[in-house]
Amino acid sequence: MNKVHAWLHGRWAVPGISGLLILASLASSRIWTNQLWGDIFMIAAAVVAGVPVVIKAFNALRAKVIGIDLLVSVAAIGAVILANYWEAAAVTFLFAIGHALETATLNKTRSALAELIAVAPDTAIVLRENEQVEIDAGEVGNGETVLVKNGAKVPVDGVVIGGTGAIDEASITGESIPVEKVTGDKVYAGTVSTGGFLQVQATGVGADTTLARIIHRVEEAQDAKAKTQKFMDRFSAWYTPAIIVLALVLGLVTRDVVLALTLLVIACPGALVISIPVSIVAGIGRGAKDGILIKGGEFLETSAKIDAVALDKTGTLTEGRPVLTDVVVLDAGIDQGLDSDEVLRLAARAEAGSEHPLARPILEAAAEKGLAVPGLPEHTEPVPGKGIVATLDGRRIAVGNVALLEQEQVAETDNSRVAEVVAELAALGRTPMVVARDGRAIGVVAVADKIRTDAAEMVRRLHASGVKKVVMLTGDIEPVAKAVGAQVGIDEVRAGLLPEQKLEAVEDLKRQGYTVAMVGDGVNDAPALATADIGVAMGAAGTGVAIETADIALMKDDLLKLPQAVSLAKRTVANMRQNIAIALITVGTLMFGVIFGGVTMAIGMLVHELSVLVVIVNAMRLLRRRRDRFESTPVRTGTPSAAVDDRVRQTV
Amino acid sequence: MNTTTSKKTILRAEGFACPSCVNKIEKQVGRLDGVESVKVHFASSRVEVVHDPDRVTADDLVAAVAKAGYKSRASAF
Repeated sequence: MNKVHAWLHGRWAVPGISGLLILASLASSRIWTNQLWGDIFMIAAAVVAGVPVVIKAFNALRAKVIGIDLLVSVAAIGAVILANYWEAAAVTFLFAIGHALETATLNKTRSALAELIAVAPDTAIVLRENEQVEIDAGEVGNGETVLVKNGAKVPVDGVVIGGTGAIDEASITGESIPVEKVTGDKVYAGTVSTGGFLQVQATGVGADTTLARIIHRVEEAQDAKAKTQKFMDRFSAWYTPAIIVLALVLGLVTRDVVLALTLLVIACPGALVISIPVSIVAGIGRGAKDGILIKGGEFLETSAKIDAVALDKTGTLTEGRPVLTDVVVLDAGIDQGLDSDEVLRLAARAEAGSEHPLARPILEAAAEKGLAVPGLPEHTEPVPGKGIVATLDGRRIAVGNVALLEQEQVAETDNSRVAEVVAELAALGRTPMVVARDGRAIGVVAVADKIRTDAAEMVRRLHASGVKKVVMLTGDIEPVAKAVGAQVGIDEVRAGLLPEQKLEAVEDLKRQGYTVAMVGDGVNDAPALATADIGVAMGAAGTGVAIETADIALMKDDLLKLPQAVSLAKRTVANMRQNIAIALITVGTLMFGVIFGGVTMAIGMLVHELSVLVVIVNAMRLLRRRRDRFESTPVRTGTPSAAVDDRVRQTV
Repeated sequence: MNTTTSKKTILRAEGFACPSCVNKIEKQVGRLDGVESVKVHFASSRVEVVHDPDRVTADDLVAAVAKAGYKSRASAF
C-alpha cells in the first residue's frame, strides 16, 4: 500500500494515470461502436493531465508570468471546446510525461552538486575531558580535538595534531588518490579517511569549512547568469506574449482555430528557457567535482575565449623553494685555502642575518654540509636589489649580483671571468650570486627553483586546448627566466618585472586583443590577477579567500588543472550554443510545419517535449569525465637536498 | 522591527523544471507570517529565506514550498 501511495504522490502518477485513460479510450472505441465511452475516457485523460497545468498557469498568471503552462492550458481547453478530445488528451499527456522526464533529468544535471552536499559530514567524535563524545558535526567548537578513525568522514576543517592516516580528498580537490597526513597537515571537512587514525584540531566548522565554501561558490556560480542567458531572458519575456498575439492574428485571419491553438503549443519556449541554465549547471558542477571552481556563467563564457595565459614563474611553474645548485671557486690559484666549502661557508655567514628568500637555500646547503655558521656577522648591510654586504672577522664580504660587484669596485681583472661564470649559470636557469672578499671576487654560488615536472605538459595541453600564447611574467633576471621558459615551452618571457609591471604586461596583452588568464598565488600578483580577464588561483583549498574571490579557483596545487579548466569552459560554452541551436531550429521547423500544414497539436507537443529532453541530455554529456583525466599525472615528490648535493659536487 | 532576531534558512528543493516555479514559491513562502524575505534560485534549486524563527520554523517553510508543489529540505549551510 505504501508503495502505491508513494507512487501516487510521485512525479509519474499524472502521466501514468492519464496514459492509462488514453489506452482505455482507444480500447473502448474498438469494443463499442458508440464513441461515448471513448470520448469520456479521453476527456478524463485530458483532465487528469491538464488540471495541474491549468492550476500552474493560473498561479503563474497571478504572479504576472505568462509561461508555457498558459499556452498549453489555452490549447488544451480550446481543443476540448472544439471536441478534439484526442488532441487535448495527447497534448496534456505528452506535456505531463515530458515534465516528469525533465524533472528527473534536470536533477541529474545538478547531481554533481548534490554529491558534494551529500559528503557533508553529520557527526563528529570529539575528545572532551579525555572521553570520546559523538556530537553533531556543526556543534564542534573551534580548537576542539576531533578523532578521525579509519573509514570515517573528516567532520571539520582542521590541523592534524597527532597520529597518521591517509585521506581521500576527492570531494575537495577532485583527486582520488589518498594523501598521507601527518602532524601539521591540513584536513578538510567532507574528505574520507582511508586508513590510520588522526587527531585533528578543529579550525573551521559547518558553514566555515572549505566544503561549505565550495558548495556556496558552486551554487552562486550556477545561479549567476551568463551574458547569453540575460539576453535569452529578455528574449523570452516578449517571446511568449508575441506568440499569443501571433496565434490570435493567425486564428482571426485564417478563421482556423485549430491552427491557432497548434501554433500556441509548438511555440512553447521550454527548450529555449532551459537551454543555457542546464549547460551551466552541468558544466560548473562537473568542474567542482574535479576541484575546479568557476565563478559563474559569465566567467565560463570569458574562459572559453582565453587565448593567452600569463603565469608567474616562482611558485607556479617552479616549486617556489629555491635550492643551492652550484658553488664555483674563482680565486683558488691565488688563495690556497679557498675551496668550495669555504666559499659556501663565507656566503652562508654573510647571509646568516638576511631575510632574503635566496639566503635560505645557501644557509640550508651549508648546514647540510656540516659547515659551521657561528653567530651573526659583525655588521650586515642589505643592498636592495643587489645583495648583501657583511663584515666577517674584520673582512668585507659581499654576496650579490654583478651590479653589487660594480658598487663594491671589485678589481676589473676578475670581471671577465666572473661574467663568464655568471652567464653560464644563468643560461642554465639558475640564479648566480657572486661572493667577493675585500674587493676580490672569490666565487659564485647559484640557486635554482626546481621546475615542476608537469609544467611542460601543462603548456603543451594549454596549446592543445586553443591557447595561442603562454607568457611567463617574473621578477627574476632575464637569462634565468629564458632558460626556464625554454625548458617548459613558454612562448614569451617577460623578466625583471615588479608587481605593477606584471599588471602592465597583462594590460599589454589585452591591448593586443588577447583574452588573458593570469595564474598566480594571489598575494603579490593580486593586481595582475584582478586586471586579467580571468584570474586563476592555484591550490585554493587552503585559502577561503581564493575560493570566494578568484574567477577560477583550482583547489589542488596541480598545474594540469589549468588546461582542464580551459577545456571545460570551452566544452560548456559549445554545449550552450548547441542547446540554443536545437531549441531555435525545433521551434522554427515546427512553426513552418504548422503554417504550411502537416503538424498537428499532438505531433507538435511530442516534438517540443523531445527537444526539451534532447537539450537536457546534451547538457548531461558535460557530467562525463573526459578521457584525459585518466592520463597519468606526474606526482611531485622527492627531497631536493640530496639531488642538490650531487649537483654541487659536479659543478665544483 | 528589529526587536526580533531574524535567521537565514536555506532550503534545497527538488524538481525545479522551469523558471516560472520561482515566482510561485516566492509568493507561497513570502505570504507566511514571520518571513521577511525569500529568494528562489532556479539554477541551483535553492530557496533562501530570511525569517523570524520564533514565528515561522524551517518546517513551516518546507510545508509552504510543498504547497507550491515542490519537495525541499532545510540545509545546514
